[in-house]
Amino acid sequence: MFSQRPRLAYIAICALVAAYGCAILFTTNSYYQLMLALVPVWAVMGLAWNLFSGYSGLVSFGHAAFFGIGAYTTTLLFAKAGVTPWIGIPLAAVTGSLAGIIIGAITFRLRGHYFALAMLAYPLAMLYVFEWAGFQEVSLPMKRENAALYMQFSDPRWNALIGLGLLVLALLVSLKVERSRFGMSLLAIKQNEIAAQVAGIDAFRWKLKAIALSGALAGAAGGFYAVILLVVTPNTVFGLATSAQALIVTMFGGVGTLWGPVVGAFLLVPASEILHAELGGKLPGIQGVVFGIAIILVMMKMPQGIAWAVRDRFLPRRGRPAQAVSASAVERLATPFVLPPHAAIMLEAEGICRSFGGVRAVADVSFQVRTQEILGIIGPNGAGKTTLFNVLNGLVTPDRGAIRLSGRDITGLPPSRICALGVGRTFQVARVFARMSLVENVVVGAFVGTATDAEAAERAREALGRVGLGALAEAPAEALTNCELRQLEVARALASRPRLLLMDEPFAGLDAGEVRAFMSLIRTLRDDGLTIVIIEHTMHAMVKLVDRFVVLDHGSVIADGAPQDVVRDRTVITAYLGEKWVPDAVA
Amino acid sequence: MPFSPPGLEAVLQAVATGLLVGSTYGLMCVALGLIFGIMRLINFAQGDFLMLGMYFALAILSGLGLSSLIGSLPALILAALAAVPVFFAIGWLMHLALLGRIGRDRPGMTEGEVHQTQLIMTLGISLVLSNGGLMVFGSTPVSLNTPLASQAVVLDSFGGDILVFLNEARILAAVAALAASCGLYALLHRTDLGKKLRAAADNPLAATYMGIDVARCHRVTFGLGFGLTALAGTMVATYYPFQPYVGLDFIIVMYAGVVLGGLGSIMGSFWGGLVIGLVQQMSTLVLPMQLQGTTVFVVFLLIMLVRPQGLFGRSVERA
Amino acid sequence: MIGLRCLQRALILAGGLATLPLAGAALAEDLKIALIAPVSGPMARQGDLMRKGAELAIEDINAAGGIKALGGAKLALVVEDAGDKVETAKNAAQRLVANRAGVVAGTGSWSSSLTLAVTEVTERAELPWLTLSYADQITDRGFKYVVQTVPVASQLALNSMPTVLDMAQAASGKRPTKVAIISDSTAASQAFVKPLREGGFEKLGVTVVADEVFTPPLTDATAMVQKLRATKPDFMLFYSTSFPDAKLVLTKMNEFGLGKGKLPAVTVGVQLASPEMLKAVGPELLEGLIVVAPNWPSKAQEAALPGLTKRSGEPWLGQDTISTYGDVWLVKDALERAGSADGAKVMAALRATNRADGPADYYLGDHVAFDDKGRRIGGAVGLVQWQGGMPYLIWPKEDAVRTPLWPKS
Repeated sequence: MFSQRPRLAYIAICALVAAYGCAILFTTNSYYQLMLALVPVWAVMGLAWNLFSGYSGLVSFGHAAFFGIGAYTTTLLFAKAGVTPWIGIPLAAVTGSLAGIIIGAITFRLRGHYFALAMLAYPLAMLYVFEWAGFQEVSLPMKRENAALYMQFSDPRWNALIGLGLLVLALLVSLKVERSRFGMSLLAIKQNEIAAQVAGIDAFRWKLKAIALSGALAGAAGGFYAVILLVVTPNTVFGLATSAQALIVTMFGGVGTLWGPVVGAFLLVPASEILHAELGGKLPGIQGVVFGIAIILVMMKMPQGIAWAVRDRFLPRRGRPAQAVSASAVERLATPFVLPPHAAIMLEAEGICRSFGGVRAVADVSFQVRTQEILGIIGPNGAGKTTLFNVLNGLVTPDRGAIRLSGRDITGLPPSRICALGVGRTFQVARVFARMSLVENVVVGAFVGTATDAEAAERAREALGRVGLGALAEAPAEALTNCELRQLEVARALASRPRLLLMDEPFAGLDAGEVRAFMSLIRTLRDDGLTIVIIEHTMHAMVKLVDRFVVLDHGSVIADGAPQDVVRDRTVITAYLGEKWVPDAVA
Repeated sequence: MPFSPPGLEAVLQAVATGLLVGSTYGLMCVALGLIFGIMRLINFAQGDFLMLGMYFALAILSGLGLSSLIGSLPALILAALAAVPVFFAIGWLMHLALLGRIGRDRPGMTEGEVHQTQLIMTLGISLVLSNGGLMVFGSTPVSLNTPLASQAVVLDSFGGDILVFLNEARILAAVAALAASCGLYALLHRTDLGKKLRAAADNPLAATYMGIDVARCHRVTFGLGFGLTALAGTMVATYYPFQPYVGLDFIIVMYAGVVLGGLGSIMGSFWGGLVIGLVQQMSTLVLPMQLQGTTVFVVFLLIMLVRPQGLFGRSVERA
Repeated sequence: MIGLRCLQRALILAGGLATLPLAGAALAEDLKIALIAPVSGPMARQGDLMRKGAELAIEDINAAGGIKALGGAKLALVVEDAGDKVETAKNAAQRLVANRAGVVAGTGSWSSSLTLAVTEVTERAELPWLTLSYADQITDRGFKYVVQTVPVASQLALNSMPTVLDMAQAASGKRPTKVAIISDSTAASQAFVKPLREGGFEKLGVTVVADEVFTPPLTDATAMVQKLRATKPDFMLFYSTSFPDAKLVLTKMNEFGLGKGKLPAVTVGVQLASPEMLKAVGPELLEGLIVVAPNWPSKAQEAALPGLTKRSGEPWLGQDTISTYGDVWLVKDALERAGSADGAKVMAALRATNRADGPADYYLGDHVAFDDKGRRIGGAVGLVQWQGGMPYLIWPKEDAVRTPLWPKS
């Protein structure tokens, strides 16, 4: 949907099917036919891992849990109840998916390394439980009549074809995810979960969907694996090696791209088998050593995996268009906007308190923001500005106090909900997907409030236009200057069409010219009807921009008024700015 | 007998064994916790480092024939003392040549990407070490046949009714583990090097501004972690038969202990390992032996979910 | 009688073949016997022992003139590595049948999981298969192309325990009445222990005072051995498929003062009577340990084949080597009777095996035959005991080379 080359992937999948299909049809050696069936298993497993971990960034060491559950679902249904794998494998996908939902719901509260390590424990715990339950070795009964009904073909090429079918299904699912708001939302979560939530993305829900889908693919792969091997043991399907294999083929091939796991599996699985068959007897462990060295080399030379490296080598990277328009071209209204004295109240904070472990970060803060006002919240580091922002858009729940948006109480709502109600926020550090186009970068912000992906892309283009990056919409974000990245960050917040925009230190790190340009952008946005709250720790540039200042110190409001009054307020100057600022401030 | 409730002996035995086993786990966890705490690196090769330590002890005792020359206990102590500098050097070089190079010439990589790449690399290192071990040492399990392993100090404090057996090899291992952990604590908290290491862990950027060579700190950390793990390996080898894949038996326990102690809290890892040892032993009192492994995972998951900062950890945010 | 008839048929077939020069020329090619065994991975040593048995048998058969019914065709060995996983075993079997030209039968592959996977392939390829793996499941699947040359686990369990009790009574004068069971959770162990736990011991008048199952790898044996000490059984039944685990338990028993035969320990699995076990555990800890062996070199075998042990280069022969040796001879026997290398005919002949001599000398029990499932008929259980750093066959009495040691109490 957002990609530059939507057709290319489908053509590539068709080419893969044609080539692999031919390879299957013309292979007569049953051993190679078995290999042709096993490669897709690990490719699907890699895709399953990639679908969750590659896009969401939450590394899972436990995909064997889903694989094993799928394998045992298919096997036990067949062995104990006589249910054919034709039904068993889809059911394996269902149980894998359910396992994903349950594990995800329990474990998503953990982040980073904690999540990765917790995932490690699930399949290993299951391994013991399955051994304990007496399923140490379960074999799929042999069917001599109507064997095809039970997926037991006399010609093993059918197995390879089913494997290929499964792979195509997994590729299409991955493609669908990658090219939709699903994948983009996951990437946004990978990049910065907090920023994603603030941009209106319900991180928990997307992660749960991703792990459910990933679990389904892994479960199906496991079910099919059981059909190929015909014997299932807990160690083979729940073992550490299974989780590692999924991760290794993906990392080797390339993370976060459709083709990575496929490339990884197509190279590593046959290579490992050939090494084992040819040299295993003389040099036991040779395949492990070669595997290990290959992984080490790939990580050193192309840490993003082979697929990305190849893509960079052979597909030219998109650059920025020659005549790119810069931010200075943003036009303002001819007559300056004047804030009406009795404008409606947009946002009202009342008695906000929040402590962290006994330290009061925000203490009884109250203020109001009127429609189309530019409000500056200033204070030194540690004054509680960021906590206050976090409270305003729901990242932090206040201990006491209330926040009302246009009279509606929004206290305690989750950030994605608050975003949907019309509160946008920019972050100080603009994080971007370097390889993606600006539209793809901005579209993340547009998902909230749009039903279709096309509509979201439309809003993303509109937002880019509003910040003056319209001409660069299709250029990759890595081609932007520092200042343009800031504009991109604003565009992402604008894509949700907010009424109120919270900006976190927008001027940090910009030079004087850039600050001027950025200020004029902010004014234009206000002229278009936006209400804006900015936090900064210096008054410097802000004096000329804002309609009003709220000054925080040690978590409390120490001044609230027009810039000219606040900068002359001696309590503010001495208590907050320090004596050396007095001459500047008064001048 | 009438005075002792049934199973008191079993409880005492479980506690005693748990403490002994737990101390050795503690050292393994400290070594892993050190690497994680300072480098933020999930190191999957840790189990294989342990394996190398075990074969090192075998080489010294049987290969060089030292145990028949000077007796097995002195030979063992010698092996343990030699293991630390030898494997420190190997770890140091390994970091210099492999792990430390990641991200060095790619300034665009975020810290997270560097860690993820390093993690996969440790998986590769683990594969090379365990399978290379298979090629070099063969697959047959071996063990150090020291008399210590099958002898016990018998605690007989209840007039013969209740006997508690303390395995001599385990006592030795536990003492060595405690000594090494205390040594590491002193190094981290009493020396300049320790201060630098901790500064590099808390805030790598600020440490760089203070003139601390963070890359060097990481090399030292990795070397130390390797050396201490190998030391634990020489000790475990005295009572545990091993083969090149033996690392897998311990890696989960190590991670469980480190998480229990609190990721990032280095000395907390020791207590984490100790608790894992105790849980493993105590679980057999109430649960089928077969679910011993599961108990560790359940405790591990519960701690993660209920108190992710661990029993002794500081904050979750940094991880 | 049957043997005679077979011989008759073989002779007729051989005579018929002699008149067919074309077929004779084709058969002058070597006949290949396959061995799929773990050559790499943690079980590689067992695979090595099996390979030795197969190589020696082929050497002997070829030296004796090959397969006479097939114009003196020589045998050759094909070895495929089963590795340590179901997947690698399956791949090995598929590799074998894909490049099958000339392979007439095969044997392997040690552990039950690997054998289950291998036979799924050989059954479909209609390749006759023999195995020394004794899991019931292998012949419970209705397969036509597999035979088990040793009694299956459930029979082994029920047959071996009376033997153990008889032996104990003969050695000590008192029949044991209390047993403690320690077993690992693998399929092979549980298949053995389950029938005993569920009434088997009760019928023999033996009470189970402790029953501990652990999942390998065992990290520590203290808790289990503590229970052994506390429950004071007359003997222990100990089933461990990996010897690091076995060593941990034996070491711990010694530490708790139960070692060196003080608490008689009966174990199953011939790897516990292997030279590696001696190397890893040492003679002191092994002293008195009794191993239930589905097969073990007997007096009959030693009489039939003097010097086999020496040629193998091993200090003594165990089940892995002798059974594989025998398996190849069984195939030879079947080939002679079938008079053809055709899979179906060889299998029919194999199933019809009924010998009390020849290949039967390489198995314990009075004769070798198979029931309709392909399970061994006429198998007996051997008891091997470590005495002074060597494992000796102590039971059945007629084959025994040493008298059993059992503590008199």
